[in-house]
Amino acid sequence: MGKEIIPAAEKSLNLIRGRLCDPSYVFRPLSASSDSNYSKLKFIVSTSITEGCNNSILLLGPRGSGKAAVLDLVAGDLLEEFPDSVSLIRLNGLLHSDDNCAFKEIARQLCMEHHLLFSKMASLDENSQFIVAMLRECGLAHKTIIFVLDEFDMFAQGKQRLLYSLLDAMQSVTSQAVVIGISSRLDADQLLEKRVRSRFSHRKILFLPPSREEFDGLLEHLLSLPADSSFPNGYVSRFNEKIKNITSDTRFKDILRTLFNANSTVNSLLKFIFRAVSLMNLESGLLSLENFKAALSSMQRQPKLEAVRDCSILELYLLVCMRRLEVKEQSAYNIISVMKEYKTIHDSFQTSDYYAQNVCLRAFEHLRERQVICYTENRGQSQTGEYRPMKLLISASELHQGMRSHACCPAILLKLLDH
Amino acid sequence: MPAIAGPSSSPQKHVVGSRLEVTGGLRSAEVNTCRKRKLRSDSAAEVSSSTPVNSISTPMKWKSPRRCAVSIPKTADEEIKEDSNGNLASPVISAVKNLSVCLDVESKWNPRDEEQMKAVKEALHVSKAPSTVVCREDEQRRVSEFVKSCMEQNKAGSLYICGCPGTGKSLSMEKVRQQADDWAKQAGLPCSETVSVNCTSLTKTTDIFSKILGKNESGSKANGSSSPLQQLQSLFSQKQQQSSSKMMLIIADEMDYLITRDRGVLHELFMLTTLPFSRCILIGKTVLRYQCSYFFFLFPLVIQIMSKLRICPSGVANAIDLADRFLPKLKSLNCKPLVVTFRAYSKEQILRILQERLVALPYVAFQSNALEICARKVSAASGDMRKALCVCRSALEILEIEARGSIDQEPQGPVPECQVVKMDHMLAALSKTFKSPVVDTIQSLPQHQQIIVCSAAKAFRGSKKDRTIAELNKLYLEICKSSTITPAGITEFTNMCTVLNDQGILKLSQARDEKLRRVSLRVDEADITFALKEIRFFRNCLL
Repeated sequence: MGKEIIPAAEKSLNLIRGRLCDPSYVFRPLSASSDSNYSKLKFIVSTSITEGCNNSILLLGPRGSGKAAVLDLVAGDLLEEFPDSVSLIRLNGLLHSDDNCAFKEIARQLCMEHHLLFSKMASLDENSQFIVAMLRECGLAHKTIIFVLDEFDMFAQGKQRLLYSLLDAMQSVTSQAVVIGISSRLDADQLLEKRVRSRFSHRKILFLPPSREEFDGLLEHLLSLPADSSFPNGYVSRFNEKIKNITSDTRFKDILRTLFNANSTVNSLLKFIFRAVSLMNLESGLLSLENFKAALSSMQRQPKLEAVRDCSILELYLLVCMRRLEVKEQSAYNIISVMKEYKTIHDSFQTSDYYAQNVCLRAFEHLRERQVICYTENRGQSQTGEYRPMKLLISASELHQGMRSHACCPAILLKLLDH
Repeated sequence: MPAIAGPSSSPQKHVVGSRLEVTGGLRSAEVNTCRKRKLRSDSAAEVSSSTPVNSISTPMKWKSPRRCAVSIPKTADEEIKEDSNGNLASPVISAVKNLSVCLDVESKWNPRDEEQMKAVKEALHVSKAPSTVVCREDEQRRVSEFVKSCMEQNKAGSLYICGCPGTGKSLSMEKVRQQADDWAKQAGLPCSETVSVNCTSLTKTTDIFSKILGKNESGSKANGSSSPLQQLQSLFSQKQQQSSSKMMLIIADEMDYLITRDRGVLHELFMLTTLPFSRCILIGKTVLRYQCSYFFFLFPLVIQIMSKLRICPSGVANAIDLADRFLPKLKSLNCKPLVVTFRAYSKEQILRILQERLVALPYVAFQSNALEICARKVSAASGDMRKALCVCRSALEILEIEARGSIDQEPQGPVPECQVVKMDHMLAALSKTFKSPVVDTIQSLPQHQQIIVCSAAKAFRGSKKDRTIAELNKLYLEICKSSTITPAGITEFTNMCTVLNDQGILKLSQARDEKLRRVSLRVDEADITFALKEIRFFRNCLL
């Protein structure tokens, strides 16, 4: 049974992964309602186009909440609706942060749109005059130019000349333009200079994370296979059935809650689902709860914990000794004092793990390489070798957790740590 | 106030006057044209009469604009309630009541009509310059008098205009320029050339001279031996061949771009007006107040030279303390500078300008109290006219969406009556414009990030404004432990701090070691407390 399912499973895997990588597919259900950001943005931009008035908007929200994706959706729809009266100019604050560069890029894109010849030797003056002239021409021809400024807060550094000239050009009756800024900083409009802020029309669309119901709807939309004849019969229904079972399971809801407590943007959900789907067992061709659990743990890795988990017993001893010294309020300790503590433990508890000095030194080196401990910075005194002070780079709780999940940690160590 | 004879029943309508002759009995066409005529001619009178009536009738209710901005909904509602009790109230408010009565019967305003919507939005757009510039007559008069006197005497001069953004400086300048041209034609003098330079577009500050030269009649740009400045200086130092030479009006926009970079350029520019045969009238415009101090170090020197050549300058700037500091100096050198300040608009001025824009339309799209609230709030905030227009357009859009929404629900239904922009539309538009998105965002952050924000608020409560990530992590772990939430590891914690930094809630500095990066709060603690007060867990934490 398993071998026959594999091609169908692979096909479904490809289908789902393709969906997850396509932002327009992902954001369609979230944009369906009339109250969504998609409809707000579309309303503003389409009224500006049809009425020929100028507007400026800011899209704000944390990274990965779909600002650029929704804007692409809106732009695609508008280019279909008004094929000849819209032209799109895209700028990115990270690439075109310099005013010279930005003006050149706008002139180049305008030339490309209107099939004109672009000269790389044009100066800033010539470029800005060209842009003003193009705005006037397009205004006369009732063609709207949409400027999309990604990473808007980067444009607000320095003299803000580009923003001033764009927003100033929109104050005249002859030009027809819409300026859309995308930023993850909430106070992006506070970064603007007085006169630039006065010309900006203060429309802000906030991208907040979707609610739980929207997330559930999104999950179903992304993971359910269509009733296509290209899949073997019964496979699709079994697959969708399994998805429904998983999503209604309380353990799955717990997993989702842990995920959303850390990062509740749409992007992180997509990453999570992608990992889970990639771990799908091809022989059974169905997703399972373990896939999702593994995906969560791979997303929320704790490298220090894994380092502790991989330590040898001697290294664990040394870590526990350092922790005990810390607890005893000894802020600066070096190898000598740690060794003394180690000896005290050995003497009081008669443990079998007692190693010679040079072995311990090698253990220290290992720990330093894994960045679990390090030498403290000592400006004034310069001590060498074993007298250099050290410190732990992991917290007590991480050490505790790591030791508990260690394969063969001796019980006495845990007891020693708790004292 | 004259009133059109009509069957007016309630005594209120007689008392108030200009808009109120329109009552239920008249025909629609007459009503609209009469209303239009009345509004235009009496708008000035109405505005001037409204303020004293307001203060007489409701002495207790009159608050300063700042307090009004805070308590807007309450005052307006109370005033309307007073209205219904039959007390004497301001003409605007009672006009609203009657207007709404009239609208039931004769309104032509249909928010579903795209043409009408488009016309109203166009009337309110920032780019549409009105035919007459109201509320700036005084300033315009002064500037045009200065230009005229310079042109009559064929002498050079300089003037400096300053004011907050959105106060009508560029608009007034355009009007003055047109007026100067018209006046020159009438007086038989040759029209002046105008060179309009926006100093933000200059790559180098000295480019302003080549721009001026480029417009000059003798325009010999190809001369490479001397710089444009030297050419201009030589031009103005020699007597012209033509006896009747034109005056050159130089308008420098955003002049502070010249100030901050290179004071020498500004000095040279103003010196051009002092040269013996100079024919330029220099008008500089800027928004900044205190940057003028750099400029004014040069002023005494310039004044000295000018007084030697017996040319009276009139360049100026804005801030009151600067004028106080430099006026005595300039007076001692025997010249009186002309101070042209464009102050921020007051509530009455904003209201008047809005009404002026809407008066040309044959229908009424806004309730007066909605306009009044908009004017009050904007004048309290910044006095920026662009913002007021933006808020009005935003309110129109809210109304449009509402109208469209009702179309979807009942496509065959009749147009609901009185669908004008009311108070609630305007209040929604005001909150959209003035509210910062910080509170909403904090409320919608994931739980761990909220705990981080909360611990940051606690950490920076005292005098210490700066902490390392490690210290913040300790506080975070404490809060997590007290509420038995599993804390995130240090890597995850640093990632979340970076995310909050990206959003502008925290501020992270760069450091070699991850744990030594310093963190500070960018958001007000009051905002955080307000945002998280609904959640009991955080309320206890922040106490």
